[in-house]
Amino acid sequence: MLSLFLAEFKRSFVQLRRYSSELIGGVVGTTIIFYGLFLSTQYIAGPGFQFGTRLDSIIVGYVLWALMLFIMGDIAGGLQQESRTGTLEQLFLSPYSASTVFLLRAIASLILNLTINLGILLLIMALTGSRLAFPPTLLPPLLAVLLGAYGIAFAMGALALTLKQVQQVLSVFQFGLIFLFTVPVESWTGSARFLGWLLPMAPGAGLLRGVMAQGAALDWGILAVALLNGAVYFLAGVALFGWAERRMKRLGKLGGY
Amino acid sequence: MLILEAQNLQKTYRSRRQVFTAVADVSLKLAAGEVLAFLGPNGAGKTTTIKMIAGLILPDSGWVMVAGRNPHQDVRALRAIGAVLEGNRNLYWRLTPIENLEYFGVLRGLSRRVAQQHSRDLIERFELGDKRQTLVQNLSRGMQQKLAIAVALMHDPQLLLLDEPTLGLDVEATESVKRLIREIAAEGRAILLTTHQLDIAEELSNRVAVINQGEIVVEEPTAELIRQFSDSAYLIQLEQPLDTLRASKITALGATVELQQITIRDPEILYSALEILRPLPIVTMGRQQANLTDIFLSFVRKP
Ligand SMILES: Nc1ncnc2c1ncn2[C@@H]1O[C@H](COP(=O)(O)OP(=O)(O)O)[C@@H](O)[C@H]1O
Ligand SMILES: [Mg+2]
Repeated sequence: MLSLFLAEFKRSFVQLRRYSSELIGGVVGTTIIFYGLFLSTQYIAGPGFQFGTRLDSIIVGYVLWALMLFIMGDIAGGLQQESRTGTLEQLFLSPYSASTVFLLRAIASLILNLTINLGILLLIMALTGSRLAFPPTLLPPLLAVLLGAYGIAFAMGALALTLKQVQQVLSVFQFGLIFLFTVPVESWTGSARFLGWLLPMAPGAGLLRGVMAQGAALDWGILAVALLNGAVYFLAGVALFGWAERRMKRLGKLGGY
Repeated sequence: MLILEAQNLQKTYRSRRQVFTAVADVSLKLAAGEVLAFLGPNGAGKTTTIKMIAGLILPDSGWVMVAGRNPHQDVRALRAIGAVLEGNRNLYWRLTPIENLEYFGVLRGLSRRVAQQHSRDLIERFELGDKRQTLVQNLSRGMQQKLAIAVALMHDPQLLLLDEPTLGLDVEATESVKRLIREIAAEGRAILLTTHQLDIAEELSNRVAVINQGEIVVEEPTAELIRQFSDSAYLIQLEQPLDTLRASKITALGATVELQQITIRDPEILYSALEILRPLPIVTMGRQQANLTDIFLSFVRKP
């Protein structure tokens, strides 16, 4: 298992390094889009407008969103590409189960993804003059968000395995996701608050915004909700993926017929 | 030792309103060191069968045993299976040969150290040494195919499945892939290869199974099959079309006459027929040398 993890790490690192122009393009593109939005909002609102901690919250949401896109690209996008080049079926010939392979793969590239997204975050902070805090209490809610993100990515992977062509679905889906990272579920009340807990990744993202942008202390009750939310989405995603694998074995379309 | 045993495999694809039986009834046995050529026209069900054996497609009925284990139930069976599937080259295009070999070795359950050792050996054996640092996407198709076979051998499987291993290769690459396949079989591995190229089957296989419309129509040792078809007939070519009197006499013996060509399936009547023909000039006379192409067509064209 450790051998496979290291092999996966090496594989993604080598491919990333070899195609670093794509990587740099991704980082610069993601940053520029945000900076463009920032400038145009400032222009519309007028020079006297102050974002305050709102800006900081938006930045946290945006960078989480970018992280989610990287993870989804890794699992769902990777699956689709591998079914095209023919390596996908080889993965299913491994004595490790397919979800183990894909999970190890995703964790291996997580370290790379986190580094990349930290780079994006720092760039945006430098450009907009935002000041975010990085207390160690950001780690548990980040874990909750990541669990949810992997769950969603596995669900999209199941879709990729079933449909083979998910590019269009993915790009529509991406904009739905931005909503999840920006809805202020923490300020919802009553039954809406309960609904907010059910949305994928939203409670964890809310906590992260609180901790990083508003300097709030961690609410352990909500953290428990966020972790539970993450775990449920993660398990559901993995289960969906296993179901898609069995279905494709029945239909004879695992590798893309 | 029996490495592969497949019994009554059956697979029907169902999609919107369409029901199509790709494999109706296929049973196969393969022993160590044997090469079985699975021969059939396009769409006969070869790929579907291979994937059912590899555990990639679930059969509707029937079962598969590889080295005594069912690949659909026991992942340990996968350790005995190496596969190069059709069409694509089963490799990471952005990695070098050595990186591909090491990665897939570990994926197939080897430790890092063993994977490194095996990939060094295979690079050498498959003569990929001077390309070890070239990205796969820059290799020739023949090189890619050789590497794909090497990758499939990384975990030292007892059974190697090759789906159309020489498809799209040039003459030279085809030769070197053929040589490799012979070597791999000589090591005692069982090889199941599919092809629609008859010469490949004829040169490489110990046994041929012809599949048509999802069913095995004949399965014989390759040499045996060719001999059966060759032994049976003598062909006599005359200078002139045969006159009606002689033609009717010869036909009465049990031979067939077509203008100046006479086909004799029963060797017992050969000399009686020659007696009748005397003194007509004969252009050629000989045993019909069947090749797999004739045999294949005779099975596949049957209604
Ligand atoms: N997943 C699938 N769904 C529906 N039909 C399929 C599928 N895979 C193969 N077929 C059909 O089944 C038949 C046999 O295919 P295949 O096993 O690939 O044949 P071969 O490899 O001998 O050319 C073909 O007619 C093909 O179109
Ligand atoms: Mg085929």
